[in-house]
Amino acid sequence: MTAALLLAIIASQVCLVTGELLMKRAMDLTNETPVPWPRFVPRFAAAITCMSGWFFLWGGLLQRADLSFVYPFEGLSPVLVMIGASIFLKEKLTTRTWLGILLIGFGVALVSAS
Amino acid sequence: MSSEAPPALDTHPDPGRGSYALLTAGVLCVTAAELLFKHGAAATAGVSGAGALFGFSVLASGWTWLGIAAYISASVAWMNVLRRMPLHIAFSMMSADQALVPLFAWALLGESISPRRLCGIALVITGIYVIARPAAQCKEQL
Repeated sequence: MTAALLLAIIASQVCLVTGELLMKRAMDLTNETPVPWPRFVPRFAAAITCMSGWFFLWGGLLQRADLSFVYPFEGLSPVLVMIGASIFLKEKLTTRTWLGILLIGFGVALVSAS
Repeated sequence: MSSEAPPALDTHPDPGRGSYALLTAGVLCVTAAELLFKHGAAATAGVSGAGALFGFSVLASGWTWLGIAAYISASVAWMNVLRRMPLHIAFSMMSADQALVPLFAWALLGESISPRRLCGIALVITGIYVIARPAAQCKEQL
């Protein structure tokens, strides 16, 4: 497995998680009355951009590699959410979370060497 | 609501059978979407040029569009599931996709899965399961 492939996989997962979080922020704004459109539009546009980035990176990966090879890397997305929460929300990660992160990390490493 | 109530993690303690049916439908739609994406990507492989980072050419295959339809169905099912049941149960079910996608990639697409890859997949599934509850708490705060 090449470094470029690994980089593309990680970039795709970062795009996916960022897109999901931006979309959540944008959708939360639509619950306000009146809807704050000037704040909604840039968040929504950024979410769509990130998700498109994920889609075309993912498509490029599937053109080059087995589905059973790239799919396990989707497991990185909860890991990225937890790490994001610990950085941006200053949350302390529990032992249980670290155990999960380690398991997924080892699993992905094994798959990438397969 | 009493002041000593714990933070609401499980706001829907009794999800009901319909929610599980919807969750199952969502899981199956994701699996179908990934298989269709792979089929569409395989059909257009090489069109993007060797080593291209973005696979824009996947859109040239009808299979990809079917995959997009399946993915949108999964998202609709997912949004309704989240409204009805605790997030950690829904999150744990993500590990079902991690099992089903490689299974069908092997059975339908003829991909060979080495013992090493199988072990890796099993570790990822276990990891997602372990992380599901704390991840659900984080997602609700973000």
